Amino acid sequence: MTQGYHPLVKRLLDGELSLAELPSELRAEGAEALRLVGAADRSPVTLSSALDERVMGTVRRHAASPGQRAWRWLNTPRNIELRLRVRPWTVWAGALAAAAALALLVGRPAPEPVPGAQARGGTRDSVLVRFVLYAPGARRVAVAGTFNQWDRAAAPLMPAGTSGVWTTTLALPVGQHQYAFVVDGARWVVDPGAPAVDDGFGRRNSVVAVTTQGAHL
Amino acid sequence: MRIIGLVLTLVLGSTLTGALAAQDVRARLDGRVSPEVQQAVQRIVADAAAQGLPVDPLVQKAIEGAAKGVPGDRVIAAVRALAGRLGQSVTAVREAGVAAPEVDVVEGGADALNAGFSGRQVSDLVRVSQPPHNPALTLQVAATLAALGVPPKQALGLVEGSISAGRSPSDLLGLPGQVQAGVAQGASPAQAAAGLARAAGGLPPGRNPDWVPPGQRKPKNPHKP
Repeated sequence: MTQGYHPLVKRLLDGELSLAELPSELRAEGAEALRLVGAADRSPVTLSSALDERVMGTVRRHAASPGQRAWRWLNTPRNIELRLRVRPWTVWAGALAAAAALALLVGRPAPEPVPGAQARGGTRDSVLVRFVLYAPGARRVAVAGTFNQWDRAAAPLMPAGTSGVWTTTLALPVGQHQYAFVVDGARWVVDPGAPAVDDGFGRRNSVVAVTTQGAHL
Repeated sequence: MRIIGLVLTLVLGSTLTGALAAQDVRARLDGRVSPEVQQAVQRIVADAAAQGLPVDPLVQKAIEGAAKGVPGDRVIAAVRALAGRLGQSVTAVREAGVAAPEVDVVEGGADALNAGFSGRQVSDLVRVSQPPHNPALTLQVAATLAALGVPPKQALGLVEGSISAGRSPSDLLGLPGQVQAGVAQGASPAQAAAGLARAAGGLPPGRNPDWVPPGQRKPKNPHKP
């Protein structure tokens, strides 16, 4: 607004000079500037409270949600200058290490199926297999094998009444598995109804072959 | 300088891979076997891994031995023997034309060797296992037959005959149970297997009389012009 005024007139408007102190050739300009400034309405303005709410309402409508703000932050391109000083062999070593870690992760054996957790009929790659052992007088019986890391507690059999017959049903992956029954937590017993092979420790393991058509003993 | 960098990279990479594998084996054996067995098995596993052999069967065998309460020295001996068989199995499977055998095939070959089959017989069993047959299952069936008392040569003939007669993989897996049933009825394992071999020469269940095994030529129809 005061851009076109002479610097002395600006000082007049700022109150640093009086009109009389201006050179005579600037007095008319100074008087006109004072008139214009004086003509401005300086009475206080009172805004209605409704206006406040309308403005804030509009602001809130246009405000982005946290998700939008996050997306905008992620999506906004930024200039990043990254300067690294490396030796080439360290890059190769890092890449090899990453590949080794990935191979180790991918090569890990798949988790064994949880006994009893499979749907009836098993999943596409597993089949329900019923294990039965006649062990009268046994206090507890379990089945351990290659399918449960030979864990003596992972697959307990349940007694069928007081007949001495113990049973359990497990979902086994397709393939051939070796196993044995564990009676009273210590005695390893082969399945009398299944073929048995040498276990490498001078004992025998029972064998069950599981196909998508069922189990073969 | 460049060569030194390359050598360092290779050494570092293989060391890192070995360290990660060793860490995995240690985690699996931790609390399941004694520290002495753990150390010895880790060494055997490291040697096996360096030869490209599958290590999972070795870890499993150690866990099995410890779970059964087998003394540590016998567990170590069994794991070492298994590593040797896995090495022989890899050789036999490769001789059958499988350049990069899968773990279960190598393990099946080791089972067959343990049951008394020779390396050449293992190669033959792999060679005859064309789809839909899986060499791993074929080897395991043969190993189980031999473990039941069927002489390896006869077990090999029974398995090969069943496959060439067009029997399904499921039929093949049923052979040990059938031998065992024959033995339960009073036959010797060899007699039971011989009976099955004769039956294998017949038609597979559900086939028409003019069915021929895959790969064999159908006889010419004399009535057809």
